[in-house]
Amino acid sequence: MTNHWIDLRNADVILVMGCNPAENHPISMKWIMKAKENGAKIICVDPRFTRTAAKADTYAPLRSGTDIAFLGGMIKYIIENNLYFKDYVVHYTNAAFLVNPDFRGPGELDGLFSGYDEKGRKYDKKSWSYQMDESGIPKKDMSLKDPNCVFSLLKKHYARYTLDMVSSITGTPKEKLVEIYELYGSTGRADRAGTELYAMGWTQHTTGTQNIRAMAIIQLLLGNIGMAGGGINALRGESNVQGSTDQGLLFHILTAYNPVPTAALTDLKSYIEKHTPATKDPKSVNWMGNRGKYITSYLKAIYGNNATKENDFGYGWLPKPDEGMNASWLNLFFKMYQGKFEGFFAWGQNPACSTPAATYVRQALGKLKWMVNVNLFDNETGSFWKGPGMVPKDIQTEVFLLPASSSVEKEGSLTNSGRWTQWRTAAIKPMGESLPDSEIANELQIRVKNLYKKEGGTFPAPIMNLTWDYSEKHEEGTIGKVDIHRVAKEINGYYLEDVYDKKVDPPKLLGKKGELCATFAHLQADGTTSCGNWIYCQSYTQKDGKIINMMARRGKDDPTGLGLYPKWAWAWPVNRRIIYNRAAVDMNGNPWDPKRAVIKWNATKEDPNTKKPGVWEGDVPDGPAPPMADEKAGKYPFIMQAHGLGAIFGPGLADGPLPEHYESLECPLQENPLSKQRINPSASLKIQQELGVDLAKYFSCDLRYPFVATTYRVSEHWQTGVMTRHLPWQLEMSPQLFVEMSEELARDLKLNNGEKVIVSSARGKVTAVAMITKRFQPFKVMDATVHQVGLPWHFGWQYPEDGSGGDSANILTPFVGDANTMIPESKAFMVNIEKA
Amino acid sequence: MIKKVNGFEILVHWTMAVSFFILVISGFGFMFKLEQIGSAFGGFAQMRDIHNWAGVVFAAALFLTTFHYLPVALKFTSDDVAWLRKGGGYLSKKAHVPPQDEINAGQKLLYFAVLFSGIAISVTGVIIWLRPNMDDLNKGVLLSFLIHNISFIVYLIVSPIHIYMATLANPGTLRIMLSGSVPLEWARKRHAKWVQKMGY
Amino acid sequence: MGRMSILVSPELCIGCRGCQTACKEWNQLEGEKTENRGTTENPPDLSTRTYNKIRYVELPSEKNPVRLLFVSQRCMHCGDAGCMKICPAPGALFKTDEGAVAFDRDKCIGCRLCVTSCPFNVPRYDEKNKISKCHLCADRISQGLTPACTKTCPTGALRYGDRDELLGLAKKAGYTKVYGASDLEGLGAMYAFMDPPNIYGMKENPAIPESVVFWDNVLKPLAYLGLGGAVAASLLHYVAFGPKKYEDGEEAKKDEQ
Repeated sequence: MTNHWIDLRNADVILVMGCNPAENHPISMKWIMKAKENGAKIICVDPRFTRTAAKADTYAPLRSGTDIAFLGGMIKYIIENNLYFKDYVVHYTNAAFLVNPDFRGPGELDGLFSGYDEKGRKYDKKSWSYQMDESGIPKKDMSLKDPNCVFSLLKKHYARYTLDMVSSITGTPKEKLVEIYELYGSTGRADRAGTELYAMGWTQHTTGTQNIRAMAIIQLLLGNIGMAGGGINALRGESNVQGSTDQGLLFHILTAYNPVPTAALTDLKSYIEKHTPATKDPKSVNWMGNRGKYITSYLKAIYGNNATKENDFGYGWLPKPDEGMNASWLNLFFKMYQGKFEGFFAWGQNPACSTPAATYVRQALGKLKWMVNVNLFDNETGSFWKGPGMVPKDIQTEVFLLPASSSVEKEGSLTNSGRWTQWRTAAIKPMGESLPDSEIANELQIRVKNLYKKEGGTFPAPIMNLTWDYSEKHEEGTIGKVDIHRVAKEINGYYLEDVYDKKVDPPKLLGKKGELCATFAHLQADGTTSCGNWIYCQSYTQKDGKIINMMARRGKDDPTGLGLYPKWAWAWPVNRRIIYNRAAVDMNGNPWDPKRAVIKWNATKEDPNTKKPGVWEGDVPDGPAPPMADEKAGKYPFIMQAHGLGAIFGPGLADGPLPEHYESLECPLQENPLSKQRINPSASLKIQQELGVDLAKYFSCDLRYPFVATTYRVSEHWQTGVMTRHLPWQLEMSPQLFVEMSEELARDLKLNNGEKVIVSSARGKVTAVAMITKRFQPFKVMDATVHQVGLPWHFGWQYPEDGSGGDSANILTPFVGDANTMIPESKAFMVNIEKA
Repeated sequence: MIKKVNGFEILVHWTMAVSFFILVISGFGFMFKLEQIGSAFGGFAQMRDIHNWAGVVFAAALFLTTFHYLPVALKFTSDDVAWLRKGGGYLSKKAHVPPQDEINAGQKLLYFAVLFSGIAISVTGVIIWLRPNMDDLNKGVLLSFLIHNISFIVYLIVSPIHIYMATLANPGTLRIMLSGSVPLEWARKRHAKWVQKMGY
Repeated sequence: MGRMSILVSPELCIGCRGCQTACKEWNQLEGEKTENRGTTENPPDLSTRTYNKIRYVELPSEKNPVRLLFVSQRCMHCGDAGCMKICPAPGALFKTDEGAVAFDRDKCIGCRLCVTSCPFNVPRYDEKNKISKCHLCADRISQGLTPACTKTCPTGALRYGDRDELLGLAKKAGYTKVYGASDLEGLGAMYAFMDPPNIYGMKENPAIPESVVFWDNVLKPLAYLGLGGAVAASLLHYVAFGPKKYEDGEEAKKDEQ
C-alpha cells in the first residue's frame, strides 16, 4: 500500500474494486465503516454482490476481466468533465512530457502499440520514449496541449472508451458508470480524498499489472497519491506476504525489490550500470540512483568478511538465471511436469491446490525424485501420491514432512499491507517436534555446508561463504538455535567501519563501527556498510549506543490525528507511513488539504539535523529536501521515479505504456469489441507453444465451456484451507466447495439450490454444491447474455477425510499469466456446469 | 362387619394416595422452586425423576380404580339430586339426606373430578416429560403445561376436602380403606339402599 | 452496577462470523458436521454447540440485485425472561449482576419447559439433556471483560456496555427506535434496526406465551389459594358443624318416615 490500513478512515470516497475486504480482510472493515460513519461513500464494483457490496453505498456489477474498460471509461470521464486536479497533474506527473512522435497507440494500430513483434509476442519499446532537450531532460508542454504530450496521448487513447463501449464490454449499466465516475471523480478536488482498494480481483489476469496502472493513472489525475485517505492500496492476501516480497521471496528479485542479476551481467559494475536509473534533472531525487550502495551493502550482509572489493563483494556467488529465463510459479511447475526437477521444497504452501491446472501439478509432483513438505499439517501436496486419480505404486517420489511451527509459536516480525512491520513474541512453545522455519532453514544450511566440507562439490563458494551467524553461542559440532534478533539486525545492517558523511566539511560521523545502521541514507557502495534489506534499514537500530527494536514499539500517540501512530512498531521506509507524501502539499509545502495534513513545511522552525531553518512536520517526509518551489534545493515529489514525477505514461511495462482493454485468454467473446487484438498481445503463450497447442485456439471461443468463471475466497477459510479445514469452527461455517450462480442460469440448467453439480473446464472437473442466488446477475455483453459463476478455492480432497469438502477450484483454472508478472489468470476463465 | 371394598381396591387407593402426595409435594416444589422440598427429594433432578415415575404409578392406579366405581358413578338418580339439594347434609348440624346407594353424589363428584383431572394431568404430564412427535411441539407442551397446572389446582382444592370428608367429617370412614369392612349399622346409616341391595 | 447489554447493529455487520468462532473458542464448543445447503449460512440453527450465528437475510432491492442483511441470532437476555419464569429448577437459569440470563448445567433438570417459553426460540439441549445457550460470557463479564463475540467484532456491529450508554450511542447514530429497548422489561441484546423488525426476520412485540404469563400471574397464586382455601374451609366446617354422627337408629328412622 502507498498508505495503510487505518488511513482508510480518512477517505471521502473508497473505491473497492478487485477485492472483497468484508470477506477477506474483515478487520479492514473497521476503518472502512469508520469512514462511512464520517460521511464517506463506499463504491463496490464486483461481478458478484459480495458481503462488501452489502455495505457499499453504490454497487455496480462488472464482468470478470473487464476492469481496464471500466477504468478507461473513468479516465475519459474525468478528463472530459475537468474533474482532474490540474496543478497536481501539471506539476507532479509526467502529463506534460513530450513523447517520441513515432509512438503509436492501439487506437491507431487496432489494439497494438508501436514496436510489436508478433512472433516473439513482445514490444520493442524504442518509440515509447520521451523527447529530450539539450540537457537530457524530457521536454515538457506545461499547457498540456501538445498532441505528443502524455496528457494528449492519454486523452486520445481513452477516447474510444465511450460509455456505450464500456457498458457493452463490462455489462455494467450506463447509469451506474456515470454515477460512479461522477462520485469517484469528485475526489479530484484538493479537499477530497479518494482511495482505491484492490487484491487478486485485479492482479490475477493476463492484464493484471495494467489494471493497477489504470488506477494509478486515475489517482494521479485526481491528485490522490500521497494524500491521507488516498493512495493505491493493495490488500495483501497473507499476514506477512508483504514481508515475504520485501525479503525477496519472488523469483525475480533479491531483497528490497532489487532485481536478481541475470547471467549476462557478469560483474557488479555491469549490474549496477544496468539497474541504476539516471536522470539529468537536478530537481529529481531519483532515489534508485543509490542502487550501488544497496546491492553492495546487501552482499556485505550475506557474505560478510568474505565479500571484499577484490572479489566484487561476492557478486559472483549470487545465483543468476539465464537471459530470458522466467522462473515464475507457472514455469516452475511446467518444468516439473516435464520431469526437469529432481527435488522440491514445498515450504509453507500447498501447490497441489493453489496452482492452476492442479491435476497436472499433482502429476508433476509425481515426476520428482524427492519432495520436502514443510507445513503445519499434511496436505494435498504432501499426500499427492494418494490423491484421486493417482496410482501410488507408479510414483517414485520420496516425500518428507517436516512439521513447522505456527505463527503463534514463533518470535519475529510480520509486515502488513500498510508496510507496518510489527514484532511478535511467541505465545506458546512449538508443539511436539515442530520447529520454526528459521530453525529448519538453519539446520538445513549447516548440514549442506558440512556436506560441502566433507565431499566438496561443483561450486561450494556461494554457500560456504554465507556468513549466517544467526545462532547464539553453542557447543562445537552442535546445531545452535537461531536468535531471530540476529537475523533482524543483519537485515537492518551495520556500520562495518566508522562511516562519515564526506559531503560536509568537516566530515560528519554518521555511524560508529559495529553499530546498527540508523537509516539507508547512510549506506555506502564501498563495502563499509552491510544491510540485508535497505528498505528495512532502521527497523532494528541503535541510538546513542542503545539498541532499539523499532518493530517492537507500541506507542499509542497520534499527533496528526490521521491515525499514523508513528511510534507504533515501524513502517518501511524509515517509518514513513504515507509514501509519496511530498505530493500531498503544494509546491510551497502547504498541504493541499489542511484538514488532513500529512506533512507541512515549517519554514522558520530549525531542522535539528542541519541546524538551519526549514523543516517538515507531520509524517516522515519523502526526503528532507525543501518544497519543490525552492529554487536551489526543491525536489519533485515522486522520488522513486527516475524523472521525479508520477508516471501517467509508463513505458516500463511489457504490454504498453498505457493500459488497454484486452479480453481474458478464455473469454465469452469471439472478438474484443475494442480492437482486433482479442487477448493481451504480450501475455506469454510459451508454455502453450511448448505443449504444441494450436495458438489459434486462443483467438476464439470454445463452445464446450460457455460460462465465465472466477475464483475467490471467503471469510471463513484461508488460502487452500490447509489450516482452516482442520478447524472445526471454520469448517462448519463453510463445509464444502460450492459454485455460486444466478437464478437465471440455474433455471436454464434446471438446477435446484443445494444440489451437487459438476463444474468443468479444459483443465479438469470438480463436484460442487450449487449456490443459486440473486447475488450473481447475468451480464448484457455486446447484446448477448453472458453468465458468470464463482467458486472458492479453499477445499482439497485430503481433508475432511471423507472427501465431503470437495476438491480445489484450481483444477479448473487456466495455466496462463500476466504479461509482466506471470501471476495466473485465476479470475476469468470459461467453464461448463452440469447436474452431478 | 360387612365388606364395602375389596383388598385390591384398598391397595390401589393407597397406591394412588401415596403417589399423589409425592406428586403434589414435588409439584409444589417445582411450581414455587422450593429448595427445601428439592433437597428432601435429593435434588431437583432426582425430584423430577421421582415425580415422573410417581405419575406413572398414579396413572396406573387411577386406571385400575376407574372401573371399580364407574358403573355406580355413572348412575345419576333422584337420590343424587336429593343429596345435592341438601348439600350432602353438611351444611348444618342437623341436616340429613335420604338413604344413599353405594356411593353418594358427593363421592360421585369426587370420582369424576379425580378421574378427569387425573386423565388430564397424566396425559399432559407424559407430553411434558416425553415430548412426543407432533406438529407444533412447543404449542403442545404449552397447552399441556396449562392443563397440567389447572388439573393440579383442581386436585389441590378437592384433596383436602376429600381427606376431611373421609376422616374428621365422617368418623368411621377411614376403616373402609384400611380393612375394607364397616359395621353393618354404620353402613345402614350412610348407605341404606346399598345395604338393602346387598341383602344384609 | 447499571444493567449491561449488547447492542447489535446489522448495518455495521459484515457477516464475517468472527463472533461465531470467538464464542466457540471461548466456550470450547465443538464444531458441527454441516453441509452446504446452497447458502452461506451455517450451522443451520442454534444448537447446544452453537450459541450464536449470523442469519443471511436477502430482501428485494430496487437499486441492487439484492438487499443483503446480516443479522445476529442469539439469546436476548430478556429483562422478563420467559425461560426463567417457567423453569422449575431453582438456579438452573439465573440473572447475573450484569443482567445476563446465565445457566447452571448442574442444576438443570432437563425438563425443556424453557424451550416453550422463550419468545425467540433460543434454549437448546445437549445429549446429557442439559440446557445450552449464550450466557453473555458470564465468566468474562463478571471479571470486567467483554463477551468474546463483542471483543472480536471488527466493525462494532456487536457492542457490549452500559445499557443506557448503548441506547445513547444508537440514538446518536440516528436510530429513533431500538428493538428491545423496552420489550420484555428490556432485552439484554438490543438491535438497532433501520426498518421494522420483521424485515430482519425478528418478531414485532415479542412476548412470553400468554399461557405462561397466566400460569405465573393467576394459576400460581390460585394454587396456594385453592389448597389453603380447601384446608381452611374444611377446618372451618369442622369447627362450625363438627363431624357427621348418626345417633343409633334415630336419624335413619327419621329419614324413613
